[in-house]
Amino acid sequence: MFKKSFLGGKNEERVIEKIKKHIKILCTACETFKNALEKQDIKKMLTVSDLEREGDIVRREVLSNIYEGAFLPFIRPNICKFVEIVDNALDELKNAAQAYDMGLKLDKDIKTDCIGITHLNLNMCEMLSITFEALCEGKDLREKILVIRIYEKKVDEIKLDLVKKLMGREIKTFWEGKVLSDFISYLSNISDIIEDASDYLQILNISIR
Amino acid sequence: MTDLIPIIAYTLIAFSVGSNDTSNALSICIGAEIIKFKKAVFLFGCFVLMGVILQGQKVMHTVGKSLLPINLAILNIALLISAFLIILSNWKKLPLSTHQVIIGSLTGAGIAFEVDINLSSLFKIVLSWIISPLGAFLFSLTLYRIMEKTLSKLPLFQIERLLRILLVISGFLIAYNTGANELATVLGGVIHSGLMERLQASLLGSFFLFLGAILLSHRVIETVGKEIVALDPYSGFAAQFGAGICVLLFTFLGMPVSTTYCIIGGISGVGMLKGMGTVKVGLIKKIVLSWILTPCLAFMTCFILAKILK
Repeated sequence: MFKKSFLGGKNEERVIEKIKKHIKILCTACETFKNALEKQDIKKMLTVSDLEREGDIVRREVLSNIYEGAFLPFIRPNICKFVEIVDNALDELKNAAQAYDMGLKLDKDIKTDCIGITHLNLNMCEMLSITFEALCEGKDLREKILVIRIYEKKVDEIKLDLVKKLMGREIKTFWEGKVLSDFISYLSNISDIIEDASDYLQILNISIR
Repeated sequence: MTDLIPIIAYTLIAFSVGSNDTSNALSICIGAEIIKFKKAVFLFGCFVLMGVILQGQKVMHTVGKSLLPINLAILNIALLISAFLIILSNWKKLPLSTHQVIIGSLTGAGIAFEVDINLSSLFKIVLSWIISPLGAFLFSLTLYRIMEKTLSKLPLFQIERLLRILLVISGFLIAYNTGANELATVLGGVIHSGLMERLQASLLGSFFLFLGAILLSHRVIETVGKEIVALDPYSGFAAQFGAGICVLLFTFLGMPVSTTYCIIGGISGVGMLKGMGTVKVGLIKKIVLSWILTPCLAFMTCFILAKILK
């Protein structure tokens, strides 16, 4: 009764498990996207939308658990914000998958760069998952966040390269150009969003100390 | 009939303490949604009763016997004026300390009735009013430093969970002190003047304090609690627990000291660690002014009224 009255705990554990699940969904979505792009598998690419929907459900569950009283009010906004950011990354991945589904044709060198970005995105997601585990275990987050930043910088460099390549490419119709531009924007934004999420983990980590 | 005046007055004061000072103990716990209001107030009432019964004796003795020999006339005027001032200050939202009002009133009425005031006892009480906020300042500052070196090393979610337990302990320590020190100050005169038995007075006082808490404390608790917890429960705990330990020590010594002033001392101590900029010096000046004026006001009012009625 004392535990139930004062300590709670179960709600908090549920939230932590769901956040882990949410990040895992992001990792799976990134991996699916990478494989689909490599194999030019449209069917597989569309499963990213399903994963995004699954992520949405988990996000709603986390938020409702928090509104039911999980955690001290002081750290709730930061937890909610972190979950929202992870969800934004899933949204962006879904947008990229949908853009790809619109009959997007990628040149070989552009495709190689895009695959490179998806590979880095996947690495960043996995590192985000490791960082969250480290947060739960009370380990130092700085090195892990630094790795995420380095990955993000690499994505930025590839993006710059991609834009230069695209500038020399002939675009036949407005929509072809727009879809391609959107696809690359969505793909390269994911790394920025994951970097934001990792920053929030650090804010969360120092907020209550 | 004259017997009824101090009884009514002390129950009014107890009611007032319940409606206002409950927030000292429960605001953080309720604001942090660790415990629901009704359950918290019920437990608060239990701890107040425990405090006044187990440890209220020393403070009661200091106020009701060591300071001056209290008779019914002194008690009537002192408690009536105290009740009036405390209710007025609550209504006008002025920061008056119950302890200072009661001690000031008793001394004023006592001098007017030409009874011997124990100056050594009075000096000790005033000295404890000066030392207690400073003590809370140091306790909270040290506690915060210890927490930084121990609690902060733990994983985030463990800190969060531990903080919940610590906030509950700290809240009920303040509740215990409310009974052992604050309510004991109110009851000191009533018991040592022979008007009521200790157990009887303690039960009645606790009941009215509980009534004040359950009926009127909700808004104060919500306002204070949400603000403090939204700010920082970590610092809130250090300030509250530091103050609680300090009041408990003074209770052991039998000195009536204000929990509110100790909490202010505690908050200032934690604030100091975060930089002087976080401490509102203007507000501290106002509090110090109120600290000086409150016992003087109570003293003068009781002295003049007692002289007129004598």
